[in-house]
Amino acid sequence: MSTEMDVDEPQRLQVTVTKPIPLTYDLGHLTAFDPNPLPPLTPSTLEQTLHSTARDAAQLLINQILTTVALKSTQDGVMATLPEPITQLPREKPVPKAKELTKWEQFAKKKGIAAKAKDGKMVYDEATGEWVPKWGYKGSNKGGEDDWAVEVDEKKQQDVNANPRSLSRAERVERIKKNERQQKRNEKNAAGSSSGSGGYKNRRR
Amino acid sequence: MLQTVKPKNARSKRALEAREPKLVENEKTTLFLRGTTASGIVQDALGDLHSLKKPQAIKFQKKNAVHPFEDASALEFFSRKNDASLMVFASHSKKRPHNLTFVRFFEYQVLDMVELGLDGETFRKMQDFKNAKAGIGLKPMISFSGAIFENNPTYAHMKLMFLDFFHGNTVSEVEVEALQYMISISAADPSDDEPNPKIHLRCYMLKTVRSGHKLPRVELEEMGPRMDFKIGRIQEANPDMMKEAMKKPKGQEMRTKKNISVDPMGDKIGRVHVDKQDLGKLQTRKMKGLRKRGRDESEGEGENDVEMDDGDVEMDDDSVPAISPKRPRV
Repeated sequence: MSTEMDVDEPQRLQVTVTKPIPLTYDLGHLTAFDPNPLPPLTPSTLEQTLHSTARDAAQLLINQILTTVALKSTQDGVMATLPEPITQLPREKPVPKAKELTKWEQFAKKKGIAAKAKDGKMVYDEATGEWVPKWGYKGSNKGGEDDWAVEVDEKKQQDVNANPRSLSRAERVERIKKNERQQKRNEKNAAGSSSGSGGYKNRRR
Repeated sequence: MLQTVKPKNARSKRALEAREPKLVENEKTTLFLRGTTASGIVQDALGDLHSLKKPQAIKFQKKNAVHPFEDASALEFFSRKNDASLMVFASHSKKRPHNLTFVRFFEYQVLDMVELGLDGETFRKMQDFKNAKAGIGLKPMISFSGAIFENNPTYAHMKLMFLDFFHGNTVSEVEVEALQYMISISAADPSDDEPNPKIHLRCYMLKTVRSGHKLPRVELEEMGPRMDFKIGRIQEANPDMMKEAMKKPKGQEMRTKKNISVDPMGDKIGRVHVDKQDLGKLQTRKMKGLRKRGRDESEGEGENDVEMDDGDVEMDDDSVPAISPKRPRV
């Protein structure tokens, strides 16, 4: 490579390289594939040969990037937009699986039930004319728990000794527990199906 | 099945989430480690490869009594611990001198392994080349030269392996200034006395010189390391595992955006659809005379109206209100 001479007279330097077989490029990986056989490598000329083939490849790759790719100048410098890589390389980890449907979601899908729109936590209380939370502190789902008089419900009152005051609270707590049980079951099902499904692991061992 | 770890605080939760399988994957981390015996040459080579791969690289200092081709479970353990899916293992023995084993992992399990014998005579480390080196973490340009990379399945495999190892992060755009160095991997054609030619790995700094053309003239300067590899043992990937690793996530394909195109000059062109203009609502020049008047407008407006007479606005007859601006009303 005669760089010194070239710098002194910068009129015309060779920027094109012709190869018998054209190179292929994978600009997404900034890679050039040169299918031309290398010139015979002898120990004395090895480095020179490698250097010149590498230079040709670098020149062609730079030419390819600067001519075919969209360039845009930003304040950080000139950016070249790279295409998607062509050569596919193995992933590091498997493609993430879609989340397993819960039992209710399966049922709703089968029946075509659309999910309820989330309309916030607050709900309008007609009686008092105020907005109250649906659940939690002073939540509207606790209606009747703090009343000074409680009507005895024959159906709920199975045990005669049970305190009729705490029955409605007990009912609510039971609903919470049931929901937690269902949640746990769904999680268990999801974990079971994801590890048990096919794949190379089961076949190999 | 391994016990699933439940994070106990937000920090460990974030750390675990970072390790979860992702739709668009992050750059692979490379782990560099050595066996119980490793020559100075192969240790230097390991260090140089590490500095090429920084910052997505971890280097172990201690010796590890591991023989990858006999039992790779220790390596799998390291892979899982460090969330690293590429590994280079350096060892040296009489039978296999200056040995570098390149290992790829999928889901913390060995995908494939290639053993490369480094030529101790021709190896030159990065420090032997007294020049500027490429900045840390830059995406390299890579070139593969030689027909053998297309024809020979072993070498084609090596090509993909090296590409996977060196290509760094997949990015959508790169700064032209940051194209600083090139990794050139080449191999001669097989001949009778050399059926398995060596793979030559060279790293060059790029220099662009003004050529007088629109494109620059590219010159290279070797920055090291200089490595010549002889291919040793190979453990091919399990086909099922490879298939799983090559799966493309659905819905990942680039959607072509409607009405946006890039012309051959590289300019982005967009077509915009606009409703037909409603000229009835067009705001023309505002004039006091056209204003709706209240009942008790005082005098003195006559002067203003006179001024307006030299306005050159022409109006359609139907849009002119009952009072013409040209006729001062007294």
